[in-house]
Amino acid sequence: MNEKTVTCKEVMNYICESLGEDLNSEKCITIKDHLDECLDCKSYYETVEITIDCYRKYNVKMSKDAHKRLMKFLDLDDCD
Amino acid sequence: MEEKEIIKRAQSGDRKALANLVKIHEQTIYNFAFKICRDKDKAENIMQETFYSMVKSLHQFDGKSKLSTWLFRIVSNHCLMLARKIKNRPFVSLEDDENIFEEKYAVDWSTLPNKIAENEELKIILDNAIKKLTPDYRMIFLLRDVEGFSTEKTGEIANLSVPAVKSRLHRARAFLRNELSKSLQ
Repeated sequence: MNEKTVTCKEVMNYICESLGEDLNSEKCITIKDHLDECLDCKSYYETVEITIDCYRKYNVKMSKDAHKRLMKFLDLDDCD
Repeated sequence: MEEKEIIKRAQSGDRKALANLVKIHEQTIYNFAFKICRDKDKAENIMQETFYSMVKSLHQFDGKSKLSTWLFRIVSNHCLMLARKIKNRPFVSLEDDENIFEEKYAVDWSTLPNKIAENEELKIILDNAIKKLTPDYRMIFLLRDVEGFSTEKTGEIANLSVPAVKSRLHRARAFLRNELSKSLQ
């Protein structure tokens, strides 16, 4: 792995801490430069993003029965 | 009708407006509860308790934050309360950075997110990975990354400082990513 102005471990740590934050800080620019040069860190960055995306897309649909039970539990079934 | 108006009506005793608020938010709250506890029955129970709390306390809701943010605070508390009742679960320690980072990138991940809907095996992998996290780490990851709350708002909901949110978040992200990587090899 490339080790120039920052180490790969620092990059991985920073990626995990700052994903989704403001990416225009001086530190972030250094990180971006490193990502351009280091395929391992780039791949790591992408896989962290994909992991998050997997959990975002994993949703469950509430059943109609669960909805009915909820309204009954709240004594609001007459307003349904 | 805007949600603010529905809330006002519900606060003044309009039961239909109250039922309407429940219907607007039930799917989101159920989904979040499921993502924390990874169990449909428990998720339903937590959802019921969350809306029961909402109905009891709606008169105290001041409208300074969104109702959904307020509900996330309530559902998060119920999830953590349930987790405390379930003792003796083996969670991993995320205190040691050396356990978090590993550097093997053998699998093509790019198509994974699009397989979630139909791939039961992948769902099991995701369930098993997140279940190893303690519920408080799970909650931060879900609020910040899955629900999309800002770091500051996540801290407000979870009653944690911004540095504490960031610390838990980066450990949870790295851990989940590495668990997924191990399972895919």
